[in-house]
Amino acid sequence: MLLVIAYTRESRTSLRNVARAHEDSVVRQFGRVALFEATEFGAFQALRLREKHGEAIQVERTRPFNEFDAVRPAVREAARAYENRETPAVPYGRFADGRNLPPPEAMKGVEL
Amino acid sequence: MTDAAASGADVVRVRVGDVVRSGRAITLPDDVDPASVVEAIQSPDDADDTDSRIAVDASEPGPVHEHVGYVHPGMGLRTRTALARAARSRGMTAPDDEEVESIRERLTAIDVGEGDIADHRRAVAEVTTETERLREQVAAARGKLQAAREGGGDATAATAELESAVRQLSETETDSVAASQRLQRAREAARERRDRRERLRRLEDRAANLEREARAHLVGQLADRYREAVAAVPSAGNVADPFDADPVTAALAIARLAALSAPVVLACDRFGSAAAARRWLDAPVVRV
Repeated sequence: MLLVIAYTRESRTSLRNVARAHEDSVVRQFGRVALFEATEFGAFQALRLREKHGEAIQVERTRPFNEFDAVRPAVREAARAYENRETPAVPYGRFADGRNLPPPEAMKGVEL
Repeated sequence: MTDAAASGADVVRVRVGDVVRSGRAITLPDDVDPASVVEAIQSPDDADDTDSRIAVDASEPGPVHEHVGYVHPGMGLRTRTALARAARSRGMTAPDDEEVESIRERLTAIDVGEGDIADHRRAVAEVTTETERLREQVAAARGKLQAAREGGGDATAATAELESAVRQLSETETDSVAASQRLQRAREAARERRDRRERLRRLEDRAANLEREARAHLVGQLADRYREAVAAVPSAGNVADPFDADPVTAALAIARLAALSAPVVLACDRFGSAAAARRWLDAPVVRV
């Protein structure tokens, strides 16, 4: 999908207008952010907005996130274990320590 | 057609062709276009936009004049905005005025900086396409060399071709890495500009909210007097909700409440004379 973010009041108004006028090409809209369908028409709308507002419109392409593809098992296991912990107050760093789970700093250093 | 009391402040001088009229209540002949008179009041120096037959010498119009400076059937009116400006013209203030002013000052101090990183994106896309093409070329040259060897023929030419293709690919791959790095840096700079833009937008939103509140406050302060003024407008008829009054009635009521030193141009039939309108509005009047 195409993630379109508006950074000024004017571009936000344009984005809302475009999203309203082309609902069938908009997957989601929140405030000054919209997800357009990954079609040429979605791209056309995003490019129109960028043409009009320049850098006040940011366009990024998203892709589906498959955790079985994108991350090693330890990361999935860490998320599962941490969300099922018995002591709610413990921060993840301390939780991971001594449990053979990846420490936060290690995960921050690995790009997907 | 000179007003006997025409002296001191707020005296208006209107020239139509060779005829000059002055005073605080002026009546112009029917063939004068009232819109041109308004134009001449609001931008006296803008000769391009103004009917050269008409010149007006009067006090400079304030913001409320934009709304109620020309009263005519078919006019539009943002009643609350106009009423809030009328309140301002009388020197009334809202609680957060100072904060709005301080935000506006901060806004002018933020320099977002403009940028366009499309060239970097294009460069990356082009070099990527070129890399693909050269990879295919290397594979083809490799195949050719293989065939030459298996066929027992002379592999010299095929070897040279492969070497050349590999060299080109390697150069392009280096270019590709460099282009990607440049794009990455450009994206980081763009992100910083967006951070600044984001701060700017938050401040603008805040200022706009405060201004909306200020408007509501000012409208609230004048609401009772506005109601009375609407009831007093000649030929207003029965108005249930003064904020729903027809634009001419509402504009006259607001003009009456506002402190106006620039003349109000009237092209409506609510008053018997320019002098009557001037008395009712307590503002200089040009009646067409």
